[in-house]
Amino acid sequence: MRAGSLALHKRFRSHGHRLREGVIRWVTRRHRDDGSEVTLGRDRIYILPTRAGYTLLAILGVMLLGAINYSNNMAFLLTFLLVGIGHNAIWYTHRNLLGLKVSALPATPTFAGQPLTISLRLADTRGRDREALHLRIGGYTSEPVAVPARGQQTASLTLPALGRGIYHLPRQRLDTRYPLGILSAWTWLGLNTEILVYPQPVDPGAAHAGPGDEADAQRRQDASTPDHIRPYRPGDPPGRILWKALARTGKLHIRETVAGGRDTLWIDWSAMPASDTETRLSMLCHQILAAEAEGRAWGLRLPDQTLPPGQGPAQRERGLRALAEFRFEPIPLPIKESTTGTKK
Amino acid sequence: MNRAGRTHSPELRGLELALLALPVAALPHAWHQPPWVTLLVAAAVLLRTWLHLRDRNPPSLGVMALLAAFAGGLTFLQYGTLFGQEAGTALLLVMMALKLLETRNRRDIVIGLFLGYFVVVTTYFFDQSLLIAAWSLLSAWLLTAALIQVHAGRTLQRRHLARQSGWMIVHALPFMLILFVAFPRVQGPLWGDPQRDEVATTALSGELNPGDIAELLQDQTTAMRVQFHGPVPPPRGQYWRALVMTDFDGRRWQAEGGESSIELPEPGDLDEVVAYTATLEPTRVRYLPVLDYPVSLPDNAEYRDNHQVVRDRRIVNRIQYEAEADLAHPPGSDDALSRTAREQALELPPSAAPRARAEVALWRATHGDDDRAIIQAALDRFAAAPYRYTLQPPTLEGDATDEFLFETQAGYCEHYASAFAVLMRSAGIPTRVVTGYQGGEWMQRGEYLRLRNADAHAWNEVWLDGEGWIRVDPTAAIAPERIEAGIGGLTGGEGESVPDFLRRDGLGWMQQLRFGLEDWRDFARFRWESWVLAFDPERQRELFARFGLDATDWRHIVTALGVGFGLLAVAAVAWSVWRRPRRPRDVADRLLVRLSRRIERQHAGLGRQAHEPVVTWTRRVKAARPDLAPIVDTFAERYNQARFAPVRDDDRAEHLTALRRLAASDLRKPDADPPLPRTN
Repeated sequence: MRAGSLALHKRFRSHGHRLREGVIRWVTRRHRDDGSEVTLGRDRIYILPTRAGYTLLAILGVMLLGAINYSNNMAFLLTFLLVGIGHNAIWYTHRNLLGLKVSALPATPTFAGQPLTISLRLADTRGRDREALHLRIGGYTSEPVAVPARGQQTASLTLPALGRGIYHLPRQRLDTRYPLGILSAWTWLGLNTEILVYPQPVDPGAAHAGPGDEADAQRRQDASTPDHIRPYRPGDPPGRILWKALARTGKLHIRETVAGGRDTLWIDWSAMPASDTETRLSMLCHQILAAEAEGRAWGLRLPDQTLPPGQGPAQRERGLRALAEFRFEPIPLPIKESTTGTKK
Repeated sequence: MNRAGRTHSPELRGLELALLALPVAALPHAWHQPPWVTLLVAAAVLLRTWLHLRDRNPPSLGVMALLAAFAGGLTFLQYGTLFGQEAGTALLLVMMALKLLETRNRRDIVIGLFLGYFVVVTTYFFDQSLLIAAWSLLSAWLLTAALIQVHAGRTLQRRHLARQSGWMIVHALPFMLILFVAFPRVQGPLWGDPQRDEVATTALSGELNPGDIAELLQDQTTAMRVQFHGPVPPPRGQYWRALVMTDFDGRRWQAEGGESSIELPEPGDLDEVVAYTATLEPTRVRYLPVLDYPVSLPDNAEYRDNHQVVRDRRIVNRIQYEAEADLAHPPGSDDALSRTAREQALELPPSAAPRARAEVALWRATHGDDDRAIIQAALDRFAAAPYRYTLQPPTLEGDATDEFLFETQAGYCEHYASAFAVLMRSAGIPTRVVTGYQGGEWMQRGEYLRLRNADAHAWNEVWLDGEGWIRVDPTAAIAPERIEAGIGGLTGGEGESVPDFLRRDGLGWMQQLRFGLEDWRDFARFRWESWVLAFDPERQRELFARFGLDATDWRHIVTALGVGFGLLAVAAVAWSVWRRPRRPRDVADRLLVRLSRRIERQHAGLGRQAHEPVVTWTRRVKAARPDLAPIVDTFAERYNQARFAPVRDDDRAEHLTALRRLAASDLRKPDADPPLPRTN
């Protein structure tokens, strides 16, 4: 019985959610894609009373009834003064968003498993201080942001870790209840920015090392000697063969020492001692980071593309991006859409 | 629970201001509430402040529930109820204090502040003075500032908050005025009888008992104020009729409401008609004081057959009404006196005043049928010593009339009016007692007459066939100065004291100053009361009528509101358009203009064109005046930093300082060349 009603409740909620989503989609149909920067105009700022607003309205209703009942003119005056203040709060709250220039800042790429920070830049263009602006994405809300007159400020939101991939920002909501909290003005933004999540680096050696090898791996890491794994080539010293990897994949791999140094390192998809895509990407990622830390030129071979050898931040970025994009169609950030919107 | 109680948590931002605003809002109640309510509010505020400063949590929910029950119980014990004006207000204050005490988060503060607005409005149950209005504005200002701080998301500067809140209130004022004037008013009450507990506050009770002490004369509160729409009649002519008393039991006179209403008499000479607007303080009775003799009345008042004016309902709020009087047109002059009316006006208890009757019998023997001579005889008797006018007469023990006439021979208007009526009735002349106001002070500043409760007066009307009810004021015989100069004109003879506030003779400069101030104060009070407090459905109807609108027709109300808000919107738009270009766009911009102008003055044509980018301009300046390169280059860089770079406030301030210095720097050529002559 209980479970049944709960399921029903859930169904209604999901219906409500879908309906709400549909309405928002319809309302924002002209602003679905805002590019990277948008100035908030009247056509996209919405405003409604908050719960506190309805409470105040009820209190004012009681005051008005009292004023009429007691024919008390000062009570009329105060009630109407508060009505005036409440009415003007519509302008004040609306104005807090109007003319604000919002631009999406490029998101700093993260590695899978690390929290993700999304930032929008808010700039005033009308010479007015802006207070208490909240950025909401999904169910997540930023700290309140204040923008000085003709200045700018960054609104940042930290989202929980995601899997590897390339994403774009889902619909954003910028809202404010300043100054009185009785009204909430908001806008939906379709700012576009690309969010890269690189694979979580996994040391190919450590990944397949048994418990006994862990101390060994630790020691190697302490000595800060990055490792490179590549398929066995005739002439390689047998002492460097990774026997455990052989046991798992049936192919010979060797660990290359650092000192070897000057020649180009090829980081190769097919050379990774793992069978599933994500683990391989993680290992490739580790290899790229290791090569960069070492300051060595490297190239990347993936099944569908090859990155020519190079070195430096640009090369690193290209490589990691290739990993993030690998067999992945850009999708909106898969974060839960909040149903209440008040979660902090 | 521990989590929410932290000081300086963003949730409690604004609590400090709420802890200031709420006591300010509640302060006026201290004069009207039992001391324990005041103490409880003060204790809650202090305790919450202490907890906040010491970073402690508010009391637990259990303790709060106990406190709430205790405070509710106290209120119930005090008033026997939790509803109604007094008890409801006490309960509201107590609950506001407890809400403040238990504040844990933003929502609690917001509810506390909303209650604060409510606390302000309940003040008006007890006091509607101008001072309270000013205090309410202060309270609303602080409460709104607290509300802004709560929602600001950061701690705002006090000055910023003050300005923001102040502007919100200023912007709401026109709104308030429009709604106040045009919001459809209905005559209250909607339920219950709000004033049922309160007793009549007028000086004019329905009874007159000359044995009582002169308590009334000490009452300096205002009874009514009158503005004349033409020449002001002389004090001697100003009798404000309120109650007519015919029924006498030998000691006490009683007023009746009259049996039916009658037509008002036509004014005799239209030029002589005195038109006026009276503002009457609430009396909680129905009688309306009008200037003798009324010829026109407000619509909701009627003229009764005993010649008193009665309103359709009790006067529980300050009201304003317009009426007209013909000073020389006594009531009844066109009719004969009915049999019953004559009998009533002659009635005397058989045992009453035997000595007075004997005296009157002598007068009758002397003067025969001449009623006027009898009246004169009575007045002469009063005018002769040892009768004296005093505000502190001895109380009368036996037959009040005889004792006064023959023994104590000291009294004020009521004594004389009562005794005179008994004398006349003994002589067979129909007589009644009329009470109302007489005298008053002329207020220079606002050009109106102020009648205090101390100006209450009693006089007589006698019936003379063919002439009607003729006014006879026996007090004028014994103390003419009371009639000529008001009650303040009396000088207390023989060590008697007239209360200070009534005296107007032989004043030093201090008192002159005091009366001058009083003149102003009463003027402000009067304006407040007549323009604001007396505005009711009737005044609204009159005001609407002046614009050709009907306040009872909702379409006209909508029109008025629409026009009002339309004008307001136009004014708002005009204001913003007028303001925008005048406001300096930016300090850096202004400094750029200054520098450009100074360079232009040195070197015509080198000033920056309106839409010339700063970089292009500096290049042009450098080409013509290489010596200015350091100045314009630094300026351009700082300017770009200050205007376009994402900078902190401190850095920006530093840039601006540098820009200011640069804009004021010496622009002359470094070599000893004389300044260039102006070429165009």
